[in-house]
Amino acid sequence: MNSDVFNLRLVSDFNIETLCRYLDNDASWPRVAAAMAPFGQIFPSLLESAERESEQDFCFIWSSLEGAVPSSRKMLDFDLVDRDALFAEVSYFAECVKKCHTRFKATFVASWTLPSFYRGLGILDFQNTTGLRRLTLEMNLALVKALENSPGIYVLDSSRWLEVAGNPWSPKLWYLSKTPYRSEVFGKAAQELKVAIGTVLGSPRKLVVVDLDDTLWGGIIGEVGWENIVLGGHDHKGEAFVDFQRALKSLRNRGILLAIASKNQEEAALQAFQKRPEMILHLEDFAAWRINWHDKAANIAALASELNLGLQSVVFIDDNPAERARVREALPEVLVPEWPEDRTSYASTLLQLNCFDLPQITDEDRVRTQLYISAREREKGKAEYQSVEEWLHSLETTVTVEGLNESNLPRVVQLLNKTNQMNLSTRRMTGHELAEWLKQEGRKLWAFRVRDKFSDSGLTGILSLQASADSCRIIDFLLSCRVMGRDVERVMLGVAVQCCRSLGCAELTAKYLETAKNKPCRDFWMKSGFAYSEAESSFSWAAAQPYPAPSHIEVIGLNRDESECELLRAQEGNVSPALL
Amino acid sequence: MTLRTSNHLDGAFDAIYAAIAELNLQLPKDKQIQRRPDIVLFGENGQLDSLALANFIVITEQKLEESFGIQVDLTEDDPFSGQNGHFRTIESLARYVSSIAENKTGE
Repeated sequence: MNSDVFNLRLVSDFNIETLCRYLDNDASWPRVAAAMAPFGQIFPSLLESAERESEQDFCFIWSSLEGAVPSSRKMLDFDLVDRDALFAEVSYFAECVKKCHTRFKATFVASWTLPSFYRGLGILDFQNTTGLRRLTLEMNLALVKALENSPGIYVLDSSRWLEVAGNPWSPKLWYLSKTPYRSEVFGKAAQELKVAIGTVLGSPRKLVVVDLDDTLWGGIIGEVGWENIVLGGHDHKGEAFVDFQRALKSLRNRGILLAIASKNQEEAALQAFQKRPEMILHLEDFAAWRINWHDKAANIAALASELNLGLQSVVFIDDNPAERARVREALPEVLVPEWPEDRTSYASTLLQLNCFDLPQITDEDRVRTQLYISAREREKGKAEYQSVEEWLHSLETTVTVEGLNESNLPRVVQLLNKTNQMNLSTRRMTGHELAEWLKQEGRKLWAFRVRDKFSDSGLTGILSLQASADSCRIIDFLLSCRVMGRDVERVMLGVAVQCCRSLGCAELTAKYLETAKNKPCRDFWMKSGFAYSEAESSFSWAAAQPYPAPSHIEVIGLNRDESECELLRAQEGNVSPALL
Repeated sequence: MTLRTSNHLDGAFDAIYAAIAELNLQLPKDKQIQRRPDIVLFGENGQLDSLALANFIVITEQKLEESFGIQVDLTEDDPFSGQNGHFRTIESLARYVSSIAENKTGE
């Protein structure tokens, strides 16, 4: 984590200074410097020109219903209200939010809540079309739908912040200071807002390593046997372990990898998976495991290495405080949450962790565990071949090259912001910033999808170029660690050389920007055949000379003939104007 | 312990100090309120601005209700006018709260 301070613009129709104070007073990462837009001027603040806020990184909009949707005042008074006009105002508010968002990396909008002292229509409040709760729900849904396809805009559920206070609304504070909520609501909102900013900025955790005994089930399997571990049945602890497994499975279904680090005899421990029908988690749900008597910290490091993940991606869960302390000490980058002694709190403790939050969810996330299982099979098969070349040929790899478009933008941005190892320049950008960057003439970007006979790894590579008068420079060259070392890197260089030549440039260059994690990228480039200038830490290739393409990979979407970039050109410019 | 014991003043200090601990979460380190009777809260050289005072009032009322079971309105007299001085120092506020409690409990 770094010590950068991120600027946050707060826009509200009520006095939001208490939130501002909580944010300013919290030194934890990400450090936030909050600045309030003029009090009560919600629409002028949303529609302000960009120049005035060039220093702002993020925006948070928290409005009352009436502040954002003026007709809702009539709704609250049970005055006649035109339903179409009401929802047209919601749409207008959403459009203003979108316009405002063009000035920020990310914009967060708090959902609307109805003060609890409004009883509305009582027992009819949800059923009747004029019920206040029903209309509030409908307006929130309309807002969410209006913003759902706007990358970088996130609607946050403010009701979660209100839950922390027994009675969140304070009429007295409203009359004294135009602040509608008690302090603790703003305290919680500040925490959640920092989590949201951290989610946009940071790298989420991708792997949960769990212990087995007294963590996935009750009891020591090596002592009591698989028949007598506590799991399921008519037992409150047994049910709690089932629910904890279910919570882990929900993470797995979201694309978080699961692995096991347990001090046990492997054969005995695996019997629980094979013989206990109450097990929610099965062996195929785990990307890897280490069940032995070795040090757990060493096992966790080995698991991360096997799965090609950095330790900063790992969460370790163990009921034993001594094991947790050992891993915290040995592997400080691993997140080791304090774990409750009460087994019935395991599932809720896991589900509360915010370290898995993602700024967007892609198809690749959903099938990640399967991809790792395929990788395991792929590596197993490697031993059967005499040479690496023979093995690579056996994979039947296909690479599809495509331009940036509306559907692949979220994944491209995700990859751009989280790839560390095979990354030439480690450029981090929002979707909006990337689209803006691409607008300038001579700048091009391609995405690479990789599949082989074992699995479809999805969109895993990005290449971008910037052409000048007689040379082309590679700006982004990055590849997911999932497909590294299978010659996809060479396909990408082949595309870059072809495009450079078709643009009439004589030379293709690339500057390597070193980070703490991208040494694998340098290692690849040093062996790539490009000429290396140590003084400038850069590589070059004469475009007239074709780059030798790997013969074992079929490339789709690329014309290998003279008009090499034709297909690529046709795919460029596919980004919707809405994204620009 | 409740305010219905003979020592209303101690109970009032407890509630006020609990409220200060909560208020300090939203104040910068160098502006946090110390828990001492002579600390000047509001008015000349006071440590609370009007928003902090409003939050402090609501938190203190909440603490009094949660911990001691009494509902008080600390804004009966305008807290911002400074004329009556209830919010001048922690001690003056504790005495004010204590007197309200006495009236409520009839002790």
